[in-house]
Amino acid sequence: MTAGTVDVRDETVEVWDGRLRLRVKVAGDGPPLVYFHPLSGLAWESLLDQLAQRHTVYAPEHPGTTPGEPQAIAQVHTFTELLLVYEETIRALGLENPAAAGESFGGMVAADLAATFPRLLSKLVLAAPLGLWRDDAPIPLMQMVAGPPEELPKYLFAHPDSDAARAAMALPADPALIPAAIAQRTWNVGCTTKFAWPIADHGLGRRLHRIRVPTLVLWGREDALVPAAYAAEFGSRIAGSQVEVIDDCGHAVAVDQPERAWTAISKFLDG
Amino acid sequence: MKVSMFEQVPYRYTPEGFENHYSSAVTAPYQIVEPELLQESLLSAYAELMHAARAGFDGVCVTEHSQSSYDMSPNPDLLASAIAYGTRAEGLDVAITVLGRSLGKTREPLKIAEEYALLDAITGGRLIAGFPVGLSYDANLNAALPAVETRERYREHRELILRAWSEPEPFPWNGRYEKYGQVNIWPRPIQQPHPPIWVPGTGSPGTLRDILSRDYAFVYLSWDGPKLTGRQVFDRYWELADELGRDRNPYRLAFLQVVAVSETDERAEKEYAKHLESHYRSGPGAIPHTALAVPGYAEPAAIEGMLRSAGPGGMLARLRTATYKELVDSQVAIVGSPATVADQIEAFVREFRIGNLMVMLQNGSMPRDLTEKNISLFAEQVLPRLRPIWDDEGWENHWWPRARQESPAGLGQQESPAGLGQQESRV
Repeated sequence: MTAGTVDVRDETVEVWDGRLRLRVKVAGDGPPLVYFHPLSGLAWESLLDQLAQRHTVYAPEHPGTTPGEPQAIAQVHTFTELLLVYEETIRALGLENPAAAGESFGGMVAADLAATFPRLLSKLVLAAPLGLWRDDAPIPLMQMVAGPPEELPKYLFAHPDSDAARAAMALPADPALIPAAIAQRTWNVGCTTKFAWPIADHGLGRRLHRIRVPTLVLWGREDALVPAAYAAEFGSRIAGSQVEVIDDCGHAVAVDQPERAWTAISKFLDG
Repeated sequence: MKVSMFEQVPYRYTPEGFENHYSSAVTAPYQIVEPELLQESLLSAYAELMHAARAGFDGVCVTEHSQSSYDMSPNPDLLASAIAYGTRAEGLDVAITVLGRSLGKTREPLKIAEEYALLDAITGGRLIAGFPVGLSYDANLNAALPAVETRERYREHRELILRAWSEPEPFPWNGRYEKYGQVNIWPRPIQQPHPPIWVPGTGSPGTLRDILSRDYAFVYLSWDGPKLTGRQVFDRYWELADELGRDRNPYRLAFLQVVAVSETDERAEKEYAKHLESHYRSGPGAIPHTALAVPGYAEPAAIEGMLRSAGPGGMLARLRTATYKELVDSQVAIVGSPATVADQIEAFVREFRIGNLMVMLQNGSMPRDLTEKNISLFAEQVLPRLRPIWDDEGWENHWWPRARQESPAGLGQQESPAGLGQQESRV
């Protein structure tokens, strides 16, 4: 598979005592970086191309989201088990202290991996992660997931009508492929929200102090899913972390403001 | 065949045009409710169920929905318990069908086991136990359980309930979702190892296969419009029955039909049309489609199948704007004189081999007097034509409470507890 300018290949790793064969998309060259995708599954967006310019990017597909293997999700009972699965995956791939980046749901996974296994990762990029809850800043995850599809963009993007936002939501041009694409995307959300429902709070806030690696917390000021108030919340709980809140930017940071997001991320990863 | 009266518990005074502004489930605005009208809506449902039992129906049925304006029955066992006691006290020989407590939604499955057992015990074994998965909005939004776990939970809870009913000794349960050190429920069902089990569903092949292989009865509802979807669902059911080596005993199939009957066809339309139309628009029609399939509730293949088979589709997707004519043409509702109604019901019952029929005779804003007229007319003039339909084929109804079959004289004075059966007899 080729996306943009980078060659992307599939690797499959057997983990979880043989109960899971996890598909990992791999691209690029350089020190390893593991990327954890958001709620709707892995899409090879331009951020991944950019990351692959200086890293070997490993992007695992959340259990159950690989086409043809929907019931793999049943093999992972709890969020704790999901973290163990990913820790095994990183070892199975033979990665030594990779950097990790995650968006939204993937940010929650990356953050909790770093908190649970303090020596596993070397650097952490968290783009609008789920994982905390404040009563004064409720996260309308249930409303978004169970709401009408036409309202989805308003939760994700500061500019739902932009070309980038439309491209991110696009369905296949061939009408014959649309039902399968909708079905897969819908199921993917079911597989990720299994560990985020109805409130994505597994006590991460009580573990964030365990994160000991350089961390970038990236947020869109107009995030309509996970309000930007959570940026400071992550920042204050992760010692030495760096917080960047981008103006005119929604939840899907890398879609709404790709250049500013990449500037912040590349500077951090190079630093 | 067996004919039961099915009743939901709607708030009967939703304002006109409700469906243009609100959902009837999950976020239905409670501010519209007037306390007196609430009480009247609730009590009318109890009264109408008793009226049906007295009128000679074989059974009465109730169901469960939470956080909804069209069915204020968060635990149907509460309603069923009152009706169970009332019918027993009056010596009325009716089955009580709870259609039921949702096994995929509950966080306390043993409560369902206990409540059903209690109902079966106080009725002397007249319970039909509904084992629904639960609607997605109820399980995944109201009860907020992860959608992808709904069916796993359902299967585990079903095994636990069945075992809790029939295992003589206390046992530990180390399930994926439930852990108990000692399961030993009191009471247990009179009908052993379990009451008849009915499973409502939308007719997906997986569900039908599961029902048939376990020898339960499948329940289908008319809200999709049987003229549009019945052929596909019922044919699939009987074909799967053949494939799985099950007989074509019509009592394997239960069907819920909305019916409104009056002296003449014209009068029926005049009396019922506005209630039916407003009910389907502001009740089931005002459930957001996305809330009926929260991501994870249906597997990708099932979603893809639904999207591909869009075709003419059932009425369910169009109920929010349904007209009276559409409801009648698609047979969501059968409306007319006793003869008209009986003709139409008899035709599809024979065509699709339905042995257990439920009729829904109250809808939305229908007042109690009109509902009771509907019940009485149906019982007096329609029901007698339907009851003998399968007699000539000689099938046994294994999906009907056994206590009743063992005491054909009924549960009147002979079987009811001292002092309860005295004033009884059918009214």
